[in-house]
Amino acid sequence: MTDKDHSSAEDSKLVRAAQKGDMEAFEELVARHRDKIYARAVSMMRNEEEAIDLSQEAWVKGWQRLHQFQGEASFGTWMTRIVINLCLDQLRKQKRQRTDSIEAMDEESGGVERHMPVVTINPTAGLERNELRQRINKALGQLSHEHRTVLVLHEFEEMEYKQIAETMGCSIGTVMSRLFYARRKLAALLTDLRKSD
Amino acid sequence: MDYDAQLKVQTYLDGELPPSEAREVANFLARDKEAVALLAELRNTRQALVGTEIGVTLPESREFFWSKIQRDILFQEKTQPAKRPVSFFTGWKRLLVPVGAVSALCVAALITLFGGSPASTIETAVADPNAFTYHDFSTGTTLVWFSYPAEDNSVDAIPPATIQ
Repeated sequence: MTDKDHSSAEDSKLVRAAQKGDMEAFEELVARHRDKIYARAVSMMRNEEEAIDLSQEAWVKGWQRLHQFQGEASFGTWMTRIVINLCLDQLRKQKRQRTDSIEAMDEESGGVERHMPVVTINPTAGLERNELRQRINKALGQLSHEHRTVLVLHEFEEMEYKQIAETMGCSIGTVMSRLFYARRKLAALLTDLRKSD
Repeated sequence: MDYDAQLKVQTYLDGELPPSEAREVANFLARDKEAVALLAELRNTRQALVGTEIGVTLPESREFFWSKIQRDILFQEKTQPAKRPVSFFTGWKRLLVPVGAVSALCVAALITLFGGSPASTIETAVADPNAFTYHDFSTGTTLVWFSYPAEDNSVDAIPPATIQ
């Protein structure tokens, strides 16, 4: 396949070529999906450098495991799952090394979200897209990685509770609790940001 | 509204309730203002997250980012040992050698049970579990069976040696 063929070829064709060893075809796939993979890594890690490194690692793994890709999901989805698993591994390593703060332990044990007052006014109404994204990112950064991960997997990856539980190695009940906490905490943080305007 | 009810509202929003439970929650929402407010809050939060990742771009050029990936791929391919193709004969050896070892043990056991003398032993050297030794002291017979991994072609499987 020539470069011109690559740029106009569908993902499935590029994947088949790459599976036969065509690295230029794989490079075109990287170019097409790199932003999405990076964005997912940033959402989970909240650190640009780590997200770049993990994205890079995900692509290398993607090349090595290309023979396993059978087309059940789209190539972009398949690669996203690889980077998610790498991010989860990295977060688990960091958790083992990190000393938990009292706030983090409170968040882990849960309970406060049950008594938070309901946010009745939409805290994001009327915000420009960029402003909203900045506030969301700021609020996401204040969640623990477990709560942020559940939110990312559910809202961005559109996984069901059961899939999230399998990915994170926890129960469906834990997924539901963490998702509930993450959403309620996010609403409260966005409201606080709105109030500080 | 208790915590279980709050979680049910969330599960209803996410479409993960079975139809009968979804109808129950819908009926509950029709009469409970607090539940309606919670549902609205959860819905607003979900809506706010839509499109958050759109527009996020990797802050490295296409060429630079690819060069790092390509370098890593080539490095890993160079450092991983190449798998040697397994020949048909080697494949069969892998099956026959352990089968042969088990057969030799069975023969030795049968000799001991029905034809051998009480003064006979079967032993396996701890240092080399792939070697079996059968001694029959009454006849002065020693049977030694060596089996080595078939993929190590520098050492062919040595047929059993009978020492008298």
